[in-house]
Amino acid sequence: MAKPMGEGTQTKAGDPAPADGPQRATPAPAKRRHRLSPLKRREALSAYIFLSAPLLLFVVFLGGPLIAVFGISVLEWNLLTQPQFSGLENYKQLLSDPTARAAIQNTFVFAFWSVVLHLGFGLLLALAVNRAMPAALTYFLRTAYFFPLIISWAAVALMWRYILDPNFGFLPYYLSEIGLSIPNVLVSPGWAMPALIFVDFWRTIGLTFIILLAGLQGIPSQLYEAAKVDGAGSLQRFWYVTIPMLSPTLFFALVITFIGAFQIFEPMYIITQGGPGDATRSIVMNIFETGFRSFEMGYASAQAVVVFLVIMVVTLLQIRLSRYWVHYE
Amino acid sequence: MAVACGGSQSESEGPAPKGTKVEGDLTLVYLGTAEQQKAWNALFGLFKEDYPDVNLDANGIPAENWAAFFDTVSTQIAGGKVPDVVQVATEGQRLFASRNLAEPIDEYIERDRDELEEFFDDIHPNLIEWNKRYSSPDENTYYLPGEFNTMCIWYNTKMFREAGVDEPADDWTWEEFSSAAGKLANPGERVFGMYVEPAYFAGIMPWLLTNGASTLNADWTKATVSSPQAVEAFDFARSLVEQGISPEPGGTFDPYSVTAQGQLAMFGGGRWPVIDMRNLNFVDEMKIVPYPQNEEKGSPVGWNAYPIMRESQNKEAAWAFVKFIASEKASEYFARQGGTIVPPRKSVAMSDAFLANAPEGSEKLYEALDYSTPIPSPEEGSVIEREIIDTFTQILAGSVDTEAALQELDQKIQSEL
Repeated sequence: MAKPMGEGTQTKAGDPAPADGPQRATPAPAKRRHRLSPLKRREALSAYIFLSAPLLLFVVFLGGPLIAVFGISVLEWNLLTQPQFSGLENYKQLLSDPTARAAIQNTFVFAFWSVVLHLGFGLLLALAVNRAMPAALTYFLRTAYFFPLIISWAAVALMWRYILDPNFGFLPYYLSEIGLSIPNVLVSPGWAMPALIFVDFWRTIGLTFIILLAGLQGIPSQLYEAAKVDGAGSLQRFWYVTIPMLSPTLFFALVITFIGAFQIFEPMYIITQGGPGDATRSIVMNIFETGFRSFEMGYASAQAVVVFLVIMVVTLLQIRLSRYWVHYE
Repeated sequence: MAVACGGSQSESEGPAPKGTKVEGDLTLVYLGTAEQQKAWNALFGLFKEDYPDVNLDANGIPAENWAAFFDTVSTQIAGGKVPDVVQVATEGQRLFASRNLAEPIDEYIERDRDELEEFFDDIHPNLIEWNKRYSSPDENTYYLPGEFNTMCIWYNTKMFREAGVDEPADDWTWEEFSSAAGKLANPGERVFGMYVEPAYFAGIMPWLLTNGASTLNADWTKATVSSPQAVEAFDFARSLVEQGISPEPGGTFDPYSVTAQGQLAMFGGGRWPVIDMRNLNFVDEMKIVPYPQNEEKGSPVGWNAYPIMRESQNKEAAWAFVKFIASEKASEYFARQGGTIVPPRKSVAMSDAFLANAPEGSEKLYEALDYSTPIPSPEEGSVIEREIIDTFTQILAGSVDTEAALQELDQKIQSEL
């Protein structure tokens, strides 16, 4: 498998002399760096100027708050009066707080199903749309699947609350017309979380789909042709060509879906307010409520640190495990 | 941090001598939705007429409830954006005062006693008493009691007429209410007799209080939400949903438009539904009557106050605004224009300014002050309120056992206190 893949990349890169290319390429940039013309230097300067805005935004809105969160997490601070140093008290509190525990558990459940559904159905949709079909239809489907993502969470949440309304919602209504009934999903402890997983899936599947579709479209067709010539059936082609070639894309989708899902907040906050009970309380929502309802900024920050660590550990684990299934080249 | 430092600094200032010119910038934060904005702006226009040298910058925060409003205000304060005056409902008054955010106004009242005498004579003695007992954690006065809301039943006379059901009397009972609501409802056609809102003030409180129960004891120090009377009240509310008299919770039910469409006969409300009813041209078909009682008459009451913030750099202008809001002119204008709250002055609440273009029986909202109970609002109120609403919603939906759920809620509230 390695050979055709190598060929594919080279063809795309368009390098005319692969054999001695590396030898010549190494000293070349060094030479160029010494002879930076005034024009190049000005170009580099403008590049830095352009980069400075996002860099500044990163430092101000991500780097700064990140450091601050670690600092605040060892304080007892109600936002309105002097903060007090409290050491690791906030972290200890986290161990014995059933609400925070429930929130973390819910978030893992949500993230698990989110990853499974997004990657599973995202791949199915991408495969379906990637088949030879009229261009107009491809455009239409691509737009249709992606469209919900550009609707704001607030609007999506409101829309689904209307659809699922137990009194006047059209879903319960039409189901009852054909003799079926669904429970009052948004206030039912057993149904609320699945409902939110579904609503989130509906809204964000387009992103996974587009990423995977782009990945599929980047697989050179000669690989399939070669596999066909070798006598591979469609299942074998999927398993031995599509999946390995798509694995870097799948890996990327896996990482960003998990990170996004673990930070879920909006649907919980707008649709169910974390209820019924704590059935749909996510950890980020819990952080928000701890901070801005109970005014325990230190404890909220400690929870944020834990979320940060969980995401980091899981992502590192994913990167580590990716060695066994992700094929670059 | 800034709050604490600024607080001690400006505390020593005290009021300026009487007659000092009021001028400069003044910022106000209040709870107001986009629809209410126009009415508020008209009121601010009046203030500017009286104080042309004050540059009033009023910011409405369109929050869904008081808890959400405080979230926003607290965050702004923590970020260093401290307004001079904040509108604070009962739900946040003790919190604001005990967090040292509000300036005591005793000296201001003393200085301008002659101007305020007539105000104190005109407001209900209960409001003065409650404002003293509940809104301050210490001996100081932080607020003048402002506009308030109580809860009554709003009913659709057209539906009563068409169903041949007698209109309710002021002393009607739960039983009479159930029987009327049952006749008015038609679950198959999605016609409802009553809307029991999964809410705190406007949802469960009237049912608790008319059954001699409440969520907390009179001092707001102990949870009482699992008492037998409380369980009975929650069960009664659930039974209305179970029989299809009230719609299921958990949706987007809009009682006002549904009422105007002839599909809802009754809902609970204070003054605020009047705006929607006017917009829907349905004021004349509505009437207001006290909540039906099982043990005694009951209604929650919550009132607004406009504390001067300790951090304020222009306390004289802030105090001028506080006095303006309490003035007869503002009260009257607001009653006529805005109408989301009942004016604290009896003379205004019983006048045409308040009663015209409003349902018959609107004066009952003021009369309810005689038998109302201040909405239990300890400092932890924001968290407790969320828990109560959540449990109430689940009980209404029938997904939990009432008694067990209330015992759990009782423990949760107790642990917060």
